[in-house]
Formats: sequence, C-alpha cells, structure tokens
Amino acid sequence: MALEFDKSIIGKIFDETDFPPITKEEIVEFAASLGETNPLYTDEAAASKGPHKGLIAPPTFVTKLRPTKFTPENLPKFGKVGFDGGRDLEVFAPVRPGDSLTMLSTIHEIYEKTGRTGSMYFIVIRNEVKNQKGEKVAVIDHRIMQR
Amino acid sequence: MSTVYFEEIEEGDEIPPIDMPLSKDQVRRYAKTANMYFPRFTDDEGARAEGLPGMIAPGVMSMGLLARMISDWNQAATIKRIGTTFRSPVLPDRNIHLRGAVTQKNAADHTVECDVWMENDDGERWVIGTATVTVPTKA
Repeated sequence: MALEFDKSIIGKIFDETDFPPITKEEIVEFAASLGETNPLYTDEAAASKGPHKGLIAPPTFVTKLRPTKFTPENLPKFGKVGFDGGRDLEVFAPVRPGDSLTMLSTIHEIYEKTGRTGSMYFIVIRNEVKNQKGEKVAVIDHRIMQR
Repeated sequence: MSTVYFEEIEEGDEIPPIDMPLSKDQVRRYAKTANMYFPRFTDDEGARAEGLPGMIAPGVMSMGLLARMISDWNQAATIKRIGTTFRSPVLPDRNIHLRGAVTQKNAADHTVECDVWMENDDGERWVIGTATVTVPTKA
C-alpha cells in the first residue's frame, strides 16, 4: 500500500534556527554529563596543544540544538503514537567555542514498514548544521516512528 | 593521550567495554545541558503521566555514551558517522553495559567500521548502532 501524502513536503526547508555562540562552559558540561575524559573535550590547556589547537565539542554535541519548529505544520499524521526511533549523525567539522551555528530542517523521507504487529510509519527529519563560516558541521537524521 | 593506530587494529577487535550504573542524577544532568529537561527525563511521576513505566534516558544520551566509549578507547579517533536505533526505553537506576567491536578496516581512508550497542544486565540490547571512525596512522 502506497502512502498517501503531499510529496512536495519532502526536502523543503521548514525551519532555520540561529543559535547563540557556543560557550566553552557548555562544551565542558556536555562532555562531563557523559563522563567524557578525553582532554580534547574537557581540558582547554591540553587541547590547545592537540590536533585542533583548542577545545572541541564531543561529536554528539550538535544533537542538543533544538530547532524552533520540530516538524512542519503540514506534516501528515500517520499513527496515533510517536516514538523516537533513532538518530544517524554524520560529522564533517568540529564545533568550537565561539561558533555561531545555524540549523536547517527538512523532512528527508517518509516510509512505511509492515510487520507482525501491523504498519509502522517512519518520518525522517534531517537537521543540517552549519557554522559561521558556512562550513557544513553535521547532518542529523532523526527517525520518528508512528503507529 | 591514549592513541590506537590503524596498524594496531584488527577486524574483530573488541572496543574496551564500559560497565556502569546509570543514575537518575546523571540523566537529569544530561537532560539539563542537552536542552531536554522534560518530565519523562527528570522524574518517575512526570514520565508516568506521559504513559511511560518511569523516568527514561534520552535516546541521544545513549548515542553520546556510545560515542564516549569510542573516545575512551582511542582519544585520537574522530567519529565520522554514528547511527543508533533506540529499540527499548533506557531506564535509569540500573546497570548499563556499553559494547563495541571493529567489523571492518578501510585502508584507503584509515577508517574503521564498528558495531556498537548498549545492553542491560540480562544482555538485552536496548540500543544498537554502527559507527565509522577515522584513526591515526603511524606512516
């Protein structure tokens, strides 16, 4: 059974959010909350002698960025209940203190899977993160399951 | 820094595991810094009001902990990609076991493919995933 919905929703930017400059303190706290001990994320003095010449954020730091609008207004509802199905994160450049990040959100994909317990619908929201130099920093695909 | 070089890694190598209790306070601390300070991630009653059995950890926290396992193993490694599937809610005040193994080496770009997962005391895999990691070379 093909899913019925307005396909023009796919790939269209529905949210663009600019974030305040990233601080050293929030990087260090994010790393600490995960128990990171890698000096690249936790120790500015040690990190300044390392390959990045300064502190960088752990790779999953960008998952804390919250868009203004999580989904587009015209997103169809396929099921009654929604679950967080997972994340795929691709990292292109490190996040550093002082970076001003922008996130662009699109619906990347909508598909259906049928299993023993019935149909499940997957909505993939793609959040692309850029920095103030226009460099692509990361792409986060967020899989939402509905049934 | 603890560095593991590409030449020292073999397919099938286990990533040093992390076994830890996941406390509610640690989940709250993560939820606060990660802009996810919502009832389901902060207290049992709030979570039950949302139809959950009790307080749970954010999926992205599990992803962050699996990324930390890779960074603990090899501080000079760079995660290029990590994908995780949240198969079951992660409930705090229990032990979690972070596990991983190298499944493939790619000499062309000095990356390794890894399977990563989080399981509970009964060996149930709450979170599963894969990662592509760039590692330094001696050459």
